[in-house]
Amino acid sequence: MTTSSAAPYAPPALAARARTSALHGFPALLSLVALVAVFVISVVNQPGILSVTGLTLMLMSAVPLVFAAQAQMLIMSVGDIDLGIGALIGLVTVIAATLLRESPLLGIAMLTAIVVVYALLGLIVQKRKVPSIIVTLGMSFVWLGIGLQILPTPGGATPDWLTAIGRWRPEGVPSPLIFIAIATIIGWYLSRQSRAGSRLRALGSNQATLEKAGWSLTRTRVLAYVLAAILIVISGLLLASQTRSGDINSASNFTLMTIAAVVLGGGNFSGGRALPIGATLGAVTLGLITVLLSLMSLSSSLQSAAQGAIVLAVLAGRVVTERLAR
Amino acid sequence: MSQSTINDSVPAVPPAQQREPTIVARSVSKSYGKTHALRGVDLQLGHGEILGLVGHNGAGKSTLMRVLAGIEQPDSGDVVVRDGASRSLWNATTAADFGVRMVYQELALCPDLTVSETVALSDPRPAGIWGWRARAERRISTSLDTVFPGHGISVLRRTGDLAMAERQMVEIARALCTDNLALLILDEPTESLGSDATEQLYAHLHSLTERGVSSLLVSHRMQEVIAHSDRIAVMKDGVVVGVFDDTSESELLVSMGGEVKADVEQPLPAAIAAAGADQLAASVIVKSTSGISFEARRGELIGLAGLAGQGQEQLLTKLWRAGALTPGVAVPHRRAYVPGDRQTSGIFPLWSVAENLTISSLRGLARFGLVRGRAKRELAAKWISALKVRGDAATPIIALSGGNQQKVLVARAFASDAELVLLDDPFRGVDVATKSELYSLMKSEAAAGRCIVWYSTENSEMAHCDRVYVFRANAIISELSGASNTEERIIADSFDEMTGTKK
Repeated sequence: MTTSSAAPYAPPALAARARTSALHGFPALLSLVALVAVFVISVVNQPGILSVTGLTLMLMSAVPLVFAAQAQMLIMSVGDIDLGIGALIGLVTVIAATLLRESPLLGIAMLTAIVVVYALLGLIVQKRKVPSIIVTLGMSFVWLGIGLQILPTPGGATPDWLTAIGRWRPEGVPSPLIFIAIATIIGWYLSRQSRAGSRLRALGSNQATLEKAGWSLTRTRVLAYVLAAILIVISGLLLASQTRSGDINSASNFTLMTIAAVVLGGGNFSGGRALPIGATLGAVTLGLITVLLSLMSLSSSLQSAAQGAIVLAVLAGRVVTERLAR
Repeated sequence: MSQSTINDSVPAVPPAQQREPTIVARSVSKSYGKTHALRGVDLQLGHGEILGLVGHNGAGKSTLMRVLAGIEQPDSGDVVVRDGASRSLWNATTAADFGVRMVYQELALCPDLTVSETVALSDPRPAGIWGWRARAERRISTSLDTVFPGHGISVLRRTGDLAMAERQMVEIARALCTDNLALLILDEPTESLGSDATEQLYAHLHSLTERGVSSLLVSHRMQEVIAHSDRIAVMKDGVVVGVFDDTSESELLVSMGGEVKADVEQPLPAAIAAAGADQLAASVIVKSTSGISFEARRGELIGLAGLAGQGQEQLLTKLWRAGALTPGVAVPHRRAYVPGDRQTSGIFPLWSVAENLTISSLRGLARFGLVRGRAKRELAAKWISALKVRGDAATPIIALSGGNQQKVLVARAFASDAELVLLDDPFRGVDVATKSELYSLMKSEAAAGRCIVWYSTENSEMAHCDRVYVFRANAIISELSGASNTEERIIADSFDEMTGTKK
């Protein structure tokens, strides 16, 4: 009996693919609902949003957050959590506003060193079985210390090329949308389209199977950390390009916001799941809330509370819909 | 892409080599701590042969499979394959190069990966940027269509969303996506398959043998093994005790250590329960009517036997978790549970022996919500001397040996005022002297009026029980007591094929 006895192979139809993708991406759907709700309320309060300039201003703050959320998603897909992400993005803005302008080579070397350090973190987590939460929390204080050492008070100036990126305003399309799309495509390629991405999810899903299939667990985890570090560096550079200065504390709320964005977008803490579109939707939703609250002239100190309320509402909604779906 | 069709590129073995065995294990031994899993196993598989491998719990089948697949290195002895001169070392890499593939049970898949991604994981060729997914989809679809026509599995689905049988089919088809397949090791492949898929699988295995692929079939379904194997090897206590060309179920059972049933008639559990029901009905304190029908009385030591994973642990969990409102289960309010895996669910590693021992009985030791230190020390000291635990009450628990830790865990259960004590195979890796101390403790505690339900994979232990329930396929197959409670009978009943035909 050879293959000739079976029906000739037909690849799955496009419709079946679309249906399965929708089914797998279903957990991200609720964050879309939340995003639409926040957006509609914003538009009702301030119709001026519905212009290229309005959307640019409104979405700008979400761009670095989306890149950071994709990084957090990669780390969470192998079953880890990065608690140093906010401090590290702050450090990248500091490097961008000081070293990268004064001595570009040293600046690039430092950014590269960050990626190398992340590779080591992945190695430590896998080899020494240290929980990633502890390692990355410890590292967040290291990033903070280095940042304060380089630039004790916010300031500095970013290199011209970086400022140019932040000032780029294409005709007809809000520039943040382009950056957000790029971040999502990168995250989608790294986590879902590439075979390396399926290894990352396998590591978070069932380590033993990945090992039996003959892959190195250490290399897979290091890969996840390296890819995440690159995305974090990009996130920091984009943040600096918008603020045109460096501030070690500028992204300190990113740590928990990225985790919330991933969870909002259908991810989970146990690993194995990676929904890049969901992570983006979650990050944009959380970013928009800040804008919305200022539009409604509410105190910005209510921001965290509102973000928390939305995360809880979406998670509660997910529990209900998953039960109904079953 | 001629490579992508499955198994059409099985290496052509020169006729001269076809008479040589595909793989030979020579006096392979392997120990884990004090447990000798394999004690000098000799086994060989011929070219294109299906070799059945049977044996009871702990006979060493799993270890032998892992050694053959190169996942475990034997302590002594070696594994040699056909053109073995070039392979001095046998490990996972060389085994994969030679074409050994193992079919695991359905739980060995990554639930978050799609079917095609799962297949791509075990494809050693370079990925390319886009092509790998289409290639994987093609390979697994072809493989599934070949082995299980009409399977109805979408390769786009996540494996975690598939039914058990579908997962097992994917796992089998995945292993068959190997280009140079030479030896297929199947670990209970039909356990979760339906009867159609089972027949399809065996038909494909036979077609593979025509192309020279050998299979090692590990299963406890005797009739399937007899029907589809060329030879059958029987393992017992870490050695191959016999290899049969043509055999019967009873012959296999005898060599595994079971007894031939003179009579197919089974003592019906209900009949036995009814016999003594009149005078004992009042003392029935454990009763389960939902799913498995089970009851136990005060003062009884009940054994749960059978092959591992046939539903014994689920019953224990059900009895342990049941509340007053759980339908169909009646259990006493005060219960104690001794877990099998003391490392993960048993001990509190930072605590002393006394603290570990008395944690379940603190209510009895407390006055006005405060634990009386003296009473606690006295209770701990009493059990430590009763069970001859090495070390004193203040010793850190992790300073004790495994057997002594287990004594503390058992003592914890009996030091409490539990009316029902559940034991989940607690004596794995415990030395003989300790075991016999624990056996006599359990007997005396049962006699004192407690009800003890004890699951063990060690059939000889069941002789200590008043009554033994033998499990198979999540049901109680037979109830043994008195003269019928023998190790041979347990082995025979756990391979009972009576339920196998109803699928």
